[in-house]
Amino acid sequence: MAYNKPIPPQGQHTKPFWEGAKAGKLMLPRCADCNRVHWYPRLICPFCHSTNLEWIEGSGKGRLHTFAVQHRAFGGWAEEVPYVTAYIDLDEGDRMMTVLRGVDATKPEEIDIGARVQVEFEQANEDTCIPFWRVCDASSDESGA
Amino acid sequence: MGIANLSNAAAIVGAAESDVIGYPEDLTGHKVTSLQHHIQAIKNVSELTGIPISDIQGIFSAGWSGELAEHLGLRPRYLDTTSVGGCSFQIHVHHALAAIHAGIIDIALVSHGEAGWSYRGGGGGGGGRGQISPGAEMTAAYGTFGAPSQYAHAMVRHFHQFGTSQEDFAHISVVTRDWAQLNPRAVMYGKKQSPFGGPITVQDVLDARVIAWPLTLYHCCLVSDHGGAVIVAKPEIARSLRTNPVWVSGAGESMGHQNILEMDDFTATSASRSAATAYKMAGLGPQDMEMAMIYDSFTITAGITAEMLGLAPRGRGYTLWKDGHAAPGGRLPINTNGGGLSFNHSGMYGMQLLVEAYRQLSRTAEDGVNGIEGKQTEATACVVNGTGGTLSTTGTLVLTSDDR
Repeated sequence: MAYNKPIPPQGQHTKPFWEGAKAGKLMLPRCADCNRVHWYPRLICPFCHSTNLEWIEGSGKGRLHTFAVQHRAFGGWAEEVPYVTAYIDLDEGDRMMTVLRGVDATKPEEIDIGARVQVEFEQANEDTCIPFWRVCDASSDESGA
Repeated sequence: MGIANLSNAAAIVGAAESDVIGYPEDLTGHKVTSLQHHIQAIKNVSELTGIPISDIQGIFSAGWSGELAEHLGLRPRYLDTTSVGGCSFQIHVHHALAAIHAGIIDIALVSHGEAGWSYRGGGGGGGGRGQISPGAEMTAAYGTFGAPSQYAHAMVRHFHQFGTSQEDFAHISVVTRDWAQLNPRAVMYGKKQSPFGGPITVQDVLDARVIAWPLTLYHCCLVSDHGGAVIVAKPEIARSLRTNPVWVSGAGESMGHQNILEMDDFTATSASRSAATAYKMAGLGPQDMEMAMIYDSFTITAGITAEMLGLAPRGRGYTLWKDGHAAPGGRLPINTNGGGLSFNHSGMYGMQLLVEAYRQLSRTAEDGVNGIEGKQTEATACVVNGTGGTLSTTGTLVLTSDDR
């Protein structure tokens, strides 16, 4: 079935992220001067204001920071309510928004803040793969603790 | 570098609303545009104070200042059209205070009109000319739309950090509704105004339709129409008018983020900083506040902000409502107009906060326009906090009555 949810227009300086996503990689911007990863991608490092930025391949792992269950949505997402949106603390630092998979949206009290999560990608069109995150099985995540 | 002490360098000398607020089409048979709300409120505040519109020297609004000046035939010498969400109007008062203190102007108009219901869905965040901000680019895929879809994340994090619950925050809805029943202009005053009007219980809040868990309908503000205007003037003028001045004793502004993706701590806003500036300027602290007007786009907004303003310990903001302190007759009345939850919320609610704070501290809350017996508090000091964006920006005012 064709992907029927919003597909973001791509900006001028975020190409490495979207190219990486097509290859199943979570590319993250990092400052080559202060060495910190930031998210979302900036034109200038938000920590030290250097413009000496580079892209690194992230581990694709993180932890659930917080979430909500959407009962009202528009377009293609309306067909999926209720579904869980979430903020992920990346292992590399900083935070990413997503739709969380591998959880039961009808039982929000069972979703664990702090749970280990892993990125996955879904092809939306020829140019775009969208990152989603999934709660890991305890056994499948060696770095979890 | 020292900062000049602006405390009491200006006063709010009058506040008024547009003629018909809430759902004007239901009440009058026709829509009222945002510009009409502006102009009605401006006309009304001019008549209330006796200050001719032609005496206005500075115009402050959230994006409207050029249009308003032109419409009114004014050639202002100070223009400020800061638009950073619902706290813009607290920030306008801060800026007007500074401009008056600097001697640039003596009389400032702060105005807002917003047909948030009647013309819903017609506008939106403008100005992009086809470009997308990188923050939006990285969140647009996930179907969140509108404020509740995002504020729900903050409430879940509050549950996690402080062991709070939906029920704890539901008390904010219930108490705010109690206040609305003392305000005939409140959308939720009674069943005549809305089928959802009149008293509600904690159970009603919990049982209401889920919008974005854990937010049910009654955890969310209204969507309605409103216009409001206040005039800020220098002390010599403030003392010469027929209206009571309400002094701008402290003011501050700050921001945490634009996109909630960048919010460091989902349970804390920049109100801690904007309030610290305002309290310091006023030489007063949270313990001196006798009432509060706190932006309540959602129950979580009010609960968190009460903590940021120092009115309750961290994680315990909701107890002000749960324990009855914020309620009519309580020790710290909060949101005496019925709040964004039950009075009126047009999209940017900060003007409603200002109008009500002025009415309470000028002793005109029961003037027959906007209140019945029991609504007038005896407060002489009020902290007013606007929150804009997605828990993003804040403006805090410490206002004091002339009889303090």
